[in-house]
Amino acid sequence: MAHESQALRQPLTSPRLRRWIVSVVLAAICCVWIYPLLWMVSASFKSNAMIFANEGLIPSQPTVENYVKAWDQANIGAYFFNTLFVTVGSVIIVTIASAMMGYVLGRRRFPGRALIFGLIIFTLFVPQGYTIIPVFDLLTRLGIGQSLWGVMLATSGGSFVIFVLLFAGYFSQMPNELEEAAKMDGVGFVKTFWYVMLPLSKPIVVTVVVMQTLYAWNDFLLPLVITLANPAIRTLSVGVYAFRGENFVDWGGMTAASTITIVPVVILFLFLQRYFIDGLAGAVKG
Amino acid sequence: MTGVSLKNVKKTYGATPVIHGVDIEIDKGEFVVFVGPSGCGKSTLLRMIAGLEEISSGDVFIGDRRVNDVDPSNRGVAMVFQTYALYPHMTVDQNMGFGLRMNGMPKAEVAQRVMQAAKILQIEELLDRKPRQLSGGQRQRVAIGRAIVRNPQVFLFDEPLSNLDAELRVATRLEIAKLHQQLAGSTMIYVTHDQVEAMTLANKIVVLRKGRVEQIGPPMELYDNPANMFVAGFIGSPRMNLITTGKGDGAGRAFPDGSALTLGGEAAGRAATLGVRADQITLVAPGAGAFDGRVSVVERLGDSEFVYVETGWGQELVVRVEGGTNTPVGHAVGLSLTGRTHFFDAEGQALSGVAVSAV
Repeated sequence: MAHESQALRQPLTSPRLRRWIVSVVLAAICCVWIYPLLWMVSASFKSNAMIFANEGLIPSQPTVENYVKAWDQANIGAYFFNTLFVTVGSVIIVTIASAMMGYVLGRRRFPGRALIFGLIIFTLFVPQGYTIIPVFDLLTRLGIGQSLWGVMLATSGGSFVIFVLLFAGYFSQMPNELEEAAKMDGVGFVKTFWYVMLPLSKPIVVTVVVMQTLYAWNDFLLPLVITLANPAIRTLSVGVYAFRGENFVDWGGMTAASTITIVPVVILFLFLQRYFIDGLAGAVKG
Repeated sequence: MTGVSLKNVKKTYGATPVIHGVDIEIDKGEFVVFVGPSGCGKSTLLRMIAGLEEISSGDVFIGDRRVNDVDPSNRGVAMVFQTYALYPHMTVDQNMGFGLRMNGMPKAEVAQRVMQAAKILQIEELLDRKPRQLSGGQRQRVAIGRAIVRNPQVFLFDEPLSNLDAELRVATRLEIAKLHQQLAGSTMIYVTHDQVEAMTLANKIVVLRKGRVEQIGPPMELYDNPANMFVAGFIGSPRMNLITTGKGDGAGRAFPDGSALTLGGEAAGRAATLGVRADQITLVAPGAGAFDGRVSVVERLGDSEFVYVETGWGQELVVRVEGGTNTPVGHAVGLSLTGRTHFFDAEGQALSGVAVSAV
């Protein structure tokens, strides 16, 4: 009897085998998932003629011609630095501003707090397309409608609300005693934020840095509108789009430019992924 | 000169009063313990002295200065929090010197003060560690060190031992007592719900209940002459035995089981509760004491034993006897009230000048 029940409880497969099966299935899904990316990288090493020659992912006659062409002739080099400028600037603005706002909203009780929360959450539901014209108008009036500073400032607004909420949630869980200890030490509101609270919110800071970098780096619609009249200040995503001519699409150049575009983002994520996942997990826990 | 002085201090949250007009005088150099059950307002009172809670009405003086509207950092006080409140991302060194650095003290002087405090607390070798690498006791020392470097007139401790295990609590308690001797002249105010901490540390105990001061005095004064039943029950371990005596006219009274008891003085003709500490009762042969009972439990502590005796009216009284007496459980005994007894009226206030005829 005992033997029988033991036999029943025995799984049909060993844990080792099950792990193998799961791994194979996941690997297959992963291949489907990253195929477009691999195709893009592969195509960037092929001539335009070879791309549609149906020769598989490994190029038979690899060439870096597309990269040279993209970097020099199509100005991707210049666009790269434009994008870098916009991204770094907006990341600095967004991280500091959203942390400060999140700190106040998360830890201070003041009249109208709920209203402010409500209003900023409401803005999440307004699609970007509807705000582009007013934003463009605002930048023009400020005299930065035709400059990279304008692109940087406008890009800073994109996911700002979500970051404020992330910070507010995180700061609201911090023990009061930390602030009180700083108060007893004679440390003011701003210094307490800068030297005590902000360093403690590192997981959220990293999350915001990664997410804002991705957003600023990949944003298309806003830079397209702002840089329409001024190709010199285009960002990468807009620059890549320019490979699409009226009668001809330069797939080789486009895929090479796209590959150049994603390399920094991939590197950033490789370095920061641990903190990034921690930050999101922490935010959800709260 | 007065160390700290509270004059008719009140605190209300909205319409709810939590501190009902407290007057306390604390001399310079005194070690004062605020003690009471949870929710009695002791921490609120401490935080009001610290400046972390607003004072609804009344005055708080530190030295000769009224500090009601003075910023916490300018009151000359330093606080040790129950949760230590160390900055997790800073080393011990940075934690202790943070306030000084932020207020513009030169680096060399900060380093010197931190080192001095570290020596007093014997944590020099921990200065480069982060709080998460420290044990609870070490964290507590760092928190105290952070208070010491500020060189305050008054130290405020908010239940500093309650996060430590029992053994460490006793050791740290001893260290705080030593620290008070070492830092001669600094006033310390200490909040706890543990009456043992209060008895062992304090020069002066303030017993609080529901936002009111029940009694203020030196530990033995409170132990020997509790002003009311609450203090009598709260101070001292084990708790004082409280026996409600039977009704009677004039001096004639009886224990609940009918045993004779005669009360004179203020107690004559008033309902009274008799209080007697465990060490003031003697076990005698049945019939030879004021009343009889049966031994229900014996707790052996080594040098002494607590014998719990169930009386004829069902109350359990505790009697302290010499260690090794080995009183058998279930044994019938007589209880003789040989030592000091206390009497409280129907409102729980202590009555004085009560003569007792029971033996």
